[in-house]
Amino acid sequence: MSTLLQKESRMTTACPGSDSIQGLPGNKGDGLERKCSRKPDQKPLKSYGVGDPTAMFSSGSPYLSSRGSVIKWFWDSAEEGYRTYHMDEYDEDENPSGIINLGTSENKLCFDLLSRRVSPSAPLSGIPSSEGLSSWDSLEYSPRRAGCLPRLPRPWSQEAPLCPGDHLSQSDMLQVEPSLLQYPDWRGHLFLREEVARFLSFYCRSPAPLKPENMVVLNGCASLFSALATVLCEAGEAFLIPAPYYGAITQHVYLYGNVRLVSVYLDSEVTGLETRPFQLTVEKLEMALQGANSEGVKVKGLILINPQNPLGDVYSPAELQGYLEFAKRHELHVMVDEVYMLSVFEESVGYRSVLSLERLPDPQRTHVMWATSKDFGMSGLRFGTLYTENRDVATAVASLCRYHGLSGLTQYQMAQLLRDRDWINQVYLPENHARLKAAHTYVSEDLRALGIPFVSRGAGFFIWVDLRKYLPEATFEEEVLLWRRFLENKVLLSFGKAFECKEPGWFRLVFSDKTHRLRLGMQRVRQVLEGQPQVAEDTPPRQIQEPRGPHR
Amino acid sequence: MEMVLTLRQTVEDHITQLTTRPQQQDGQAIREQEALLGRLLFQIVSFLPAVAQSFQPPCTSTDSRGDVGGGQPVQTSRQTGQMFYQESDFENTVISYDLSNRGIDISALYHLSFRDYNTYQGNKYHKDKNTLGYINLGTSENKLCTDLLAERLSQSDMTYIDEDLLQYTDWRGQPFLRKEVARFLTFYCKTPEFLDPENVVILNGCPAVFSALAMVLCDPGEAFLVPTPSYGGFAFSTHLYSKVKLIPVHLESQVTEANGYPFQLTVDKLEQALLGAKIEGKKVRGLVLINPQNPLGDVYSQDSMMEYLEFAKKYNLHVIVDEMYMLSVFDEAITFHSVLSMKSLPDPNKTHVIWGTSKDFCISGFRFGALYTHNREVASAMSSFGYLHSISGIAQYKLHQLLQDREWIDNIYLPSYHFRLQEAHRYVTRKLKALKVPFLNRGSGLYVWINLKQYLDPCTFEEELLLHRRFLDHKLILSPGKTFMCKEPGWFRLIFAARPHLLRIAMRRFQQGLVEHKQERRVKQLEDATKEEVSTSQPETPASPALRKS
Repeated sequence: MSTLLQKESRMTTACPGSDSIQGLPGNKGDGLERKCSRKPDQKPLKSYGVGDPTAMFSSGSPYLSSRGSVIKWFWDSAEEGYRTYHMDEYDEDENPSGIINLGTSENKLCFDLLSRRVSPSAPLSGIPSSEGLSSWDSLEYSPRRAGCLPRLPRPWSQEAPLCPGDHLSQSDMLQVEPSLLQYPDWRGHLFLREEVARFLSFYCRSPAPLKPENMVVLNGCASLFSALATVLCEAGEAFLIPAPYYGAITQHVYLYGNVRLVSVYLDSEVTGLETRPFQLTVEKLEMALQGANSEGVKVKGLILINPQNPLGDVYSPAELQGYLEFAKRHELHVMVDEVYMLSVFEESVGYRSVLSLERLPDPQRTHVMWATSKDFGMSGLRFGTLYTENRDVATAVASLCRYHGLSGLTQYQMAQLLRDRDWINQVYLPENHARLKAAHTYVSEDLRALGIPFVSRGAGFFIWVDLRKYLPEATFEEEVLLWRRFLENKVLLSFGKAFECKEPGWFRLVFSDKTHRLRLGMQRVRQVLEGQPQVAEDTPPRQIQEPRGPHR
Repeated sequence: MEMVLTLRQTVEDHITQLTTRPQQQDGQAIREQEALLGRLLFQIVSFLPAVAQSFQPPCTSTDSRGDVGGGQPVQTSRQTGQMFYQESDFENTVISYDLSNRGIDISALYHLSFRDYNTYQGNKYHKDKNTLGYINLGTSENKLCTDLLAERLSQSDMTYIDEDLLQYTDWRGQPFLRKEVARFLTFYCKTPEFLDPENVVILNGCPAVFSALAMVLCDPGEAFLVPTPSYGGFAFSTHLYSKVKLIPVHLESQVTEANGYPFQLTVDKLEQALLGAKIEGKKVRGLVLINPQNPLGDVYSQDSMMEYLEFAKKYNLHVIVDEMYMLSVFDEAITFHSVLSMKSLPDPNKTHVIWGTSKDFCISGFRFGALYTHNREVASAMSSFGYLHSISGIAQYKLHQLLQDREWIDNIYLPSYHFRLQEAHRYVTRKLKALKVPFLNRGSGLYVWINLKQYLDPCTFEEELLLHRRFLDHKLILSPGKTFMCKEPGWFRLIFAARPHLLRIAMRRFQQGLVEHKQERRVKQLEDATKEEVSTSQPETPASPALRKS
């Protein structure tokens, strides 16, 4: 959630122009700060940036340790926008003039399906399900195509269909075994790890069955980032990450691990052999790695998010292979965050999990994460899983699981849910994809009508929107001002700075919400933009959206 | 094997040194040493399975790996062997350079700290299926009332679900749950004023709360004072993530002028420990108190507590009060006073209280821990950890339902719970008396602190470990005093919060262990005496004691 607003205080911090780099606490020479004082004419731009959370705050506290003060800063900065939103949350009946949240990446489209699956008493508890369904129906998306999930991989293992048609009775969710109430195996209950292994083998199309011993289950991917950072890096070391990226990772790897992120800056402009905006190339990775090394920053790994957040980009198998080979050359760990793996709603995209590759260049250093937060619209359930062939890494992460465990009852429910392939394949996924697609179509058409360029490839819950022409000056200060105007007009978006985007003026807009809210939200966005003079008219708006171009 | 055992000893000494003894070396040296030891340990752990693989069947050679994997031998038995086979299987046969030094350290420490627990997990006693399995009276886990909880949690009010429960929420904990926790603690801690939900931070378990607190209150290398014997989890928590030191305030069993009762905590001792730490250049940031105490079962009087708090205020220390067992006071003659019940706290901004449901409600698998602090800065900083220590919204709802059901808690749960604790305690203490084993007779907690010094000869921690292994031979897990940083060898913590059937068998094994230990000791003494007399051929020593002695 903090991603939606990694506070603007960062932007307003005084920026010493010094190019002295990294290292000592309090040294402000990180990429962020330098950028904020950068004028558009200052060139060349660096192709990478070393993050340094300690540079972002100044005030100490009589009660907290110095790291405690930095830690608190993370909370305060995230909380500001969050608090504004929560004090004035939109509600159709009770607060129709409240803030609409198109900033947090959550799937609010399928709660009706999930609640019915997870809880038998759900229909009694006033779910706005019928409302959600009917309003999307009114948008005339094709009704659910139950039973014909397209392009579904063939299972390598025969999974006995579990009580077809029985999923509505849901009595399977109520089990309270005493053993579920006791201390578990800290890696996660074996029954759940077995189920997750089967699930991922199937949906990631792994060439060989994944092993439960290689799984570690804990309370969300945030914890996984934290644990991996701690066991793979010493304090002060770093991971590479292509930017723009999901900004909360900065916090996850820093809090306990004291690990930094080196941004590999991607460009909106398509140059050379590139085929799409913000394309990640091995060359850019090499440059960033070199740059970091030259500054004395020890890089231990590479983080890839696939499908990407916020770009909605999907890496091709060849690209993936390239990145993995790069990592192998430099003995880097690769952490692949596939948390949107089942949220690819555009069939033509052809998503491939890294686990589906026939041969991983460096299996001992490839670690895959998945969670139900996004794909099953259950960010509040707190379930995440690591798959790694490296037993040492699995053991080390498991050693930390005492601090990141999830309730035995939740583990039981999770296993029940993941086991129910009939429901997933025939009800949930088709419906979810259809709703995502409809919502995406609605928003992208709106944007097109406004003449606003955007990036979106048919995966994830968001569109990466180019509002650069609405900034009087290409600065992050102006970006925040525009973001504020949206908030004043009661719609919450996420600005590009929160994703470490190096070009001011990009925003992430989340579309996975109910129609009426989305409509109202888009209306409010439009109001702001229409009242905003377009200052950069001289640069003709490039249409960089590319729904199904030659390179898909 | 020699090498392995030597290494084990080194590692253990090192860990003990790390957690108990003040350090002379600087942090860098310690880290290097840790890393070296960790590497060594890992290499051996990795090496042995490869060797063992060449034997047939694998079970015969597995206890050696068990030794190493656990860092301490678990005795020869088929089940143990198999269990450790899986355990070591989890490690890789290839020596790994993939982990950071601290990663290696974390893995190694985990194995050292949780070997008994893992032993137990791999081979649990079951009255029908596995009567030869381990009985765990070592882990402080409450199994007396799982039936009541399972029943309560199955009731229909528990299954409610709404959109908010499945979405991101307030990372400090759902507002409805924080409100309920504030109400709950207001009532059961008898606070003079209503507690404020804004001062409550909810994370997934008390270890998480403690770990996060250590992060926000201390910088690496700084320290907390902790009266010992003390719950070993703190040492583990502080070492794993936060790299905070614990400085023991050693308490003594002997009753003297300065020691009104065994293991009494006095301000004098606190001041001595603080002074000692300062002389060594340690920066002490706080004091950790457990009330009711674990493993002693002591409950601090209001006056004592006030003295400790005044001491902390005087020296500008935070006080973390762990009241994990506050509803597990089963002796009606004892009144527990929560620190939150005090009319005025000496330093409210530096007093932080931890509570959770794991012990008091028999649901250690639920992962719920709460912090109450008047200090908003600390609360905010703690909230940053909400991401990393979050609890499922559905579980939060269930907890809310559980905590708000006062009628069930007061009329059904607590009376049954306390009655069962009393019964189990009575049974165990009667047995101990019959066996002439001295113990602290207290009326709270899930454990008795027992004194088995008479079985150690000489009275050393090495001997304590041997006795501990003797119990393991008899498939009984107890926690030796050393894991609580107790200064005097020979003390053990025995958990009695188990069902009667299990407890009966456990106490039988306990007795058998003691008898056997005593006998073998006598035989050995005789042998030694004989050896001295007749310096001819030495009688062959049985395999297992030899292993244990080496």
